[in-house]
Amino acid sequence: MTSELVLRDGREWIALKLPVRALVALALLALALLVVSALSLATGSYGVALGELMETLRGITISRAIDNVVWEFRFPRILTSALVGAMMALSGAALQNATRNGLADPSLVGVSQGAALAVVTLTVLLPDQSGALRPWAAFFGAILVALAVQGLSRTRQGGNTIRFILVGIGLSAFISSITSTMMTYGQIDRAMAALAWLSGSINAASWNDVWTLSAALAVLMAALLGISRTMSALRFGEATAVGLGAPVRLVRNVQLLIAVALAAIATSVVGPLGFVGLIAPHAAQRLAPAGIGLHLMLTAMIGALLVSAADLVGRAAFAPIQIPAGLLTALIGVPIFIALLLRTRSAQTS
Amino acid sequence: MSDAVAMPVRHPVRALSGAPVLLGLLVLVFLLHIAVGAKPLAIGTVVDALVNFDAKNFDHVIVRNLRLPRAVIAVVVGASLALAGALMQGVTRNPLADPALLGLTAGASFTVVMASSLLGITTMALIPWIAMVGALGAALVVYVIARYVPGGATPLSLTLSGAAVSAFLGALISIAHLLDQDTFDNLRVWLTGGLAGRDINLLWSVGPWLAVALAAGIALAPRVTLLAMGDEVAQGLGVRTGRLKLQLLAVVVVLTACSVALAGPLGFIGLVIPHVVRLYVGSDYRWVAPYAALAGAIYLLSVDIVARIAIPPREISTGIITAMIGAPLFVHLVRRRMR
Repeated sequence: MTSELVLRDGREWIALKLPVRALVALALLALALLVVSALSLATGSYGVALGELMETLRGITISRAIDNVVWEFRFPRILTSALVGAMMALSGAALQNATRNGLADPSLVGVSQGAALAVVTLTVLLPDQSGALRPWAAFFGAILVALAVQGLSRTRQGGNTIRFILVGIGLSAFISSITSTMMTYGQIDRAMAALAWLSGSINAASWNDVWTLSAALAVLMAALLGISRTMSALRFGEATAVGLGAPVRLVRNVQLLIAVALAAIATSVVGPLGFVGLIAPHAAQRLAPAGIGLHLMLTAMIGALLVSAADLVGRAAFAPIQIPAGLLTALIGVPIFIALLLRTRSAQTS
Repeated sequence: MSDAVAMPVRHPVRALSGAPVLLGLLVLVFLLHIAVGAKPLAIGTVVDALVNFDAKNFDHVIVRNLRLPRAVIAVVVGASLALAGALMQGVTRNPLADPALLGLTAGASFTVVMASSLLGITTMALIPWIAMVGALGAALVVYVIARYVPGGATPLSLTLSGAAVSAFLGALISIAHLLDQDTFDNLRVWLTGGLAGRDINLLWSVGPWLAVALAAGIALAPRVTLLAMGDEVAQGLGVRTGRLKLQLLAVVVVLTACSVALAGPLGFIGLVIPHVVRLYVGSDYRWVAPYAALAGAIYLLSVDIVARIAIPPREISTGIITAMIGAPLFVHLVRRRMR
C-alpha cells in the first residue's frame, strides 16, 4: 500500500509527494506531546487545576504562587525535557546511521559517560565556573570518548557492530570508575550535587537551559537535515553510497560530530539519559517508514515525548519522591535493547 | 575455540613450582595489608599480634579487631571471585566471562536490596541465601536471552545480554533507593563494592558455604579442562556434561553470591585473574583453578591496600579500582577476540 498524497499544480511544474501516514503520525505525536506537557504543567506538589492553568497560560494572574510555579518551575522543565529528548533521539539516529549499527546509543558507546566525567571533574575541581563551561567540557569529554571507541573498534575490515558496542561498554566502565574516584576525592557537597546530576534528573531546569538547548537543537538539526540526502544514500551501505557519488567519509565524520554535540549538550544540562537515542529511531521506523528528513522529525518527536512522559511519570508515580527520568528511560530501554539484540542478524554476532 | 585452549599445557613441575611463590606472596601481602593504614604498624608487631595476642597492647587490638577481619574477607572474596570467573570462562568457553559482566553480581545485589527495602529482611543469616537466589535468576535470564540471539550464546551475545540485564537491575536498585532513604543509607557503601567496615559476623555465616564451594570448584576443575574442548570431546572422554555443568553452575552461584554478600559487587576480578594465571600455567584447569584462587586473594589484598592509601585520609571504594584495572583488559580482549 502506498499511502502517499501527490500534489501537483496544473502544469506539473511543482509536484510534492507527501507520505500521509508519516505526516499523520507526526501530527498525532505532536498532539500527544502537548497532552503530556499539559498534564505535566498541572501535576506536582502544588496542585493547579486545568482551568487555572489555562488562565495562567493566557497571561492572567490568578495568584503570585501559581504564576511562579507554572512560569518559573514547570514551564522550563517541560520544555527542557522535550528538547533534551529530541536531542538524544537525533543523536542516536545520527550515530546509528554513521556507524551503520542499529544498537548504537550515546549512553551505550560511552559518549554520555565521557560527558559525565568531564562535567563531574569540572563540578568538583572548579565549582565556581561550572555553569558556563559545562556544555564545552561535556562536548570535549564526549568527543574524546567517541574517538577512542571508534579507534579501538576499527579493524582492517572496517567496524563491527557488536565489537563497537562491547568496546563502548568496556570504556564506559573504565570512565565511570574514574568519575566515581572524582566524587570520592571531591568535597561532599559538591559530590552530592554531581550525584544528583548523574542520575539524569530534569529537576533543576531553568529558562537559561531552555535557551541554550533550543539554540543548539536549531543549529544542529538544521545541519543534520542539510546532509540528510547523503545520509539516505548511506542507509544502503557504504559501497552503494560511494557508488552513488556521496562524499561518504566527510558526511560520516560530520554526522558523528553532530551526534556527539547533540548528546553532549543535552547531557551537560540534565545528566546522562540512557537508551532514548536507541529507542526513538527504531520506533520512528516502525511507526511510519519515511524519507530521511521526515524520519528525523519523527525521531525527534518520539524522543521528546519519551523523555517528557518519563519525567511526568517519575514525578507523579511516587510523589513526593521524584524518580529521575534517566532511570525510567533505562527501564523502558533495556527490554527494547534486548528485543533488538534478538533480531540482529547472526552475521553480525559471529 | 577459545584461544586459551590453543596454548600448550606447561610441564607439571614448572606449574607446581608456582605454588610456593604464590603462597609466600600471599602471606607477605596479607601482613602488609594489616600493617598499612591510618596508624602504620611494623610487620613485626602484626606478626606478634597474630601469634601471641596481648589484649592490653593497643596495637594488637587494632590488628585483631579492625584490620584482621578486613584482610580475611579480602582473601576469601578475591579467591572466590577469581575461581568463579575461571570456571565460568571454562564452561562457557568464553574468555569474557566474569560474575559481574554476566549479571550474577547485579542479580545478587538486586535481591538483597529488594529483600531489605520491600520485605524488611536484614537478618544476617538469610543474606547469602537471598543473594544466591538473585545470582541464579540473573544467570539464567542472561543465558536464555543470549541463547535466543541469532548465532547462539557466543561470548559477545552473553556479554551484551549481561550488560543489558545489569543495567535494568541497576535502574531498579536506584529507584528502590530513592523510595526508601533509610535502607539507602545502610546499603550505599555496600553497593559501591568495598571492604571497609564489613561485619566479621557475616563471615561466620557465609564462610562454611564458601569453603565448600571453593573446594568443590577446585575438585571439579580437571573435568573443566575437558569441557573447554567442547561438549562432544568431553562426552567422548566419558564426562557427563549436563550434570557437570549443573554442578559448576551451583558452585559459581554460591561463590558469587557469598562474595557479594560479604563485599558488595566487585567487578572484573573474575575476568582479570584467570587470564593472568593462564599466561603462566597454560590452559589446564587442574592448575588454573587453584592458582586463580590464590592469585585472586593476592590481587584483592593489593587492590585494597591501594584503595586505602591512594588519597588519604579518604578511601576509594575497592570496586572502583578493580574496574579501573579490569575494564582496559576487557577492551583489549574484545579487540583481540574479534580481529
